[in-house]
Amino acid sequence: MARRVSWFAWFWYVLGALYFIIPLWGTFVFSLQKERGTFSLAAYQSAFADPKFAETFLYSNVMAVLTIIFSLLLVVPTAYWVHLRVPRMRPVVEFITLMPFVIPAIVLVFGLIKTFSRPLTILGVTVLPPLTNSSLSTDFLLVAGYVVLSLPYMYRAVDNGLRAMDVGTLTEAAQSLGAGWGTILWRIILPNLRSALLSGALLTFAIVVGELTIATFLGRPAFGPYLALIGNHKVYEPAALAIVSFGLTWLAMGIIDRVTRGQGGTTTGAH
Amino acid sequence: MAFLSLTNVRKVFPNAQTAAVEDFTLDVEKGEFVSFLGPSGCGKTTTLRMIAGFETPTAGAIVMDGKEISNERPNQRNIGMVFQSYALFPNMTVADNIGFGLKVKGAPKTDIKQRVTEMLALIKLEQLGGRYPYQLSGGQQQRVALARAIAIRPKLLLLDEPLSALDAKIRVSLRNEIRAIQRQLGITTIYVTHDQEEALSLSDRVVVMNHGVIEQVGQPFEIYNFPKTAFTASFVGTLNMHDATVLDAAAGEVRLAGASIAVPSAALGGHRAGDTVKVALRPELLYVHPTGAAVENTLTGVVENVAFLGAVARIHLAVGDTTILVDEFNNPQLSVPAIGSTLTTYFTPESCMVLG
Repeated sequence: MARRVSWFAWFWYVLGALYFIIPLWGTFVFSLQKERGTFSLAAYQSAFADPKFAETFLYSNVMAVLTIIFSLLLVVPTAYWVHLRVPRMRPVVEFITLMPFVIPAIVLVFGLIKTFSRPLTILGVTVLPPLTNSSLSTDFLLVAGYVVLSLPYMYRAVDNGLRAMDVGTLTEAAQSLGAGWGTILWRIILPNLRSALLSGALLTFAIVVGELTIATFLGRPAFGPYLALIGNHKVYEPAALAIVSFGLTWLAMGIIDRVTRGQGGTTTGAH
Repeated sequence: MAFLSLTNVRKVFPNAQTAAVEDFTLDVEKGEFVSFLGPSGCGKTTTLRMIAGFETPTAGAIVMDGKEISNERPNQRNIGMVFQSYALFPNMTVADNIGFGLKVKGAPKTDIKQRVTEMLALIKLEQLGGRYPYQLSGGQQQRVALARAIAIRPKLLLLDEPLSALDAKIRVSLRNEIRAIQRQLGITTIYVTHDQEEALSLSDRVVVMNHGVIEQVGQPFEIYNFPKTAFTASFVGTLNMHDATVLDAAAGEVRLAGASIAVPSAALGGHRAGDTVKVALRPELLYVHPTGAAVENTLTGVVENVAFLGAVARIHLAVGDTTILVDEFNNPQLSVPAIGSTLTTYFTPESCMVLG
């Protein structure tokens, strides 16, 4: 009986794997056919030779790193405080962090442009100049948009990490030993959230590097719009870059798996 | 002047109908080991948390070493605390856990290292300084938690049910260790537990709590043998507690389970014939009647059950509608009474406690 269940499970497992692997394999084979009648890496060479590739890829990487930093600064203290002091607010915060799933990126970017493309005034006093007037301030707007997009992933990762530890008691133990809030966050909470933070950061990285809508409408030279552009003008290079993107994503997942594997452990030793 | 004084301390949690702790007044001397004993929800942990600074009293004052600390932050109080769940920092080794408090205080590295070595020797885990908490057993983790709490040389040590998560054998050995270390260091200690055996065996004094108020404060011997309230009598130790009718208050005579029983007449002061009082008897103060001997208080009934508990055999004796527990010390030469047999038990008037 157990063996039958096992075969049944394997059947669905293989079917699911084929569903993902066959298109990917097709894309990979296609990316090798730039030169007629032979398999070659010409499409990859062509894609990497384009200076725009390196430029946009680097730009998106910088934006991703900034997004991760701002996300962590926003999410970690918020999630920690919700766990520690206002657990009743958890559903509200969860709802807010899920908003990017409901509100399309196009709505978000138009909201950002509409709000921040003019000076923000309070009682006739300008408190914030237009943020779309310079590259630097538009980059700031782009990162802000990315932080919102990454909220569901980053918050959930941090929240799961906090649920896995006894935040309240660890905090109280540290306080009784003389630690203040900064020490507790830096020395106790963050190190114990390491794998959760890494998961959130890598998911954020994956989202930001390929993001199209916000970068396009803010007119920034990001990797997502570049991919869309060459997809419209070239044949084999988009397939090559898609394979590269998959490779990078798998690399990120591999790092998550490597870092999170073996965390925790069981009680051993003699009493 | 007491080292730690709690005066009329009260705690009402937001949206709560009743106070978690009410009018709590207690003086603790330097070096004393005091246990808060009571059932779940009696306010013992809340009181401990107010001393630690994790809860703010709604009213009253907490004074330690001559200084009012009621509104001081927990990290300013220099109070060590051991938690039921150990609360060791999972990202740090045993040595780092023990040295954490000193590091926070900015102690020099050499001092930290020396103190950690001392503490590891104190808890007899010299070889395990480099291990992580998940590599230790529960008992070892709790010893590390104790070492971490005392490494900072706290003015006061608080232990919140530290042995509850451990198995019975480890509990007994660790509680002896805790007491030995406390005596060695002379550190003033407050220990919260719902385990009466733990409280009685460890403490200089026991504070029995119920529904947020102190029922009785006293030495373990006093608490066990001279309980002031029915709650203390029933919560601490096993007890026969039954309603009895006063027959003659001046002569100290009551009717219990259909029999006329002599109790200390002073205990019936203020009562009149016909009043109902509660008479309490420890099972170990009832004896199986030696055939033919004349004794003052006797109850005869049918053996309902005999529970062998190791050191004692607990006999459940049905006397009319009342079940009386009688503890007979284990003696391999004597057989325990058969279920269904008739048995007479006797006890002295002085062993009867009259409550309420």
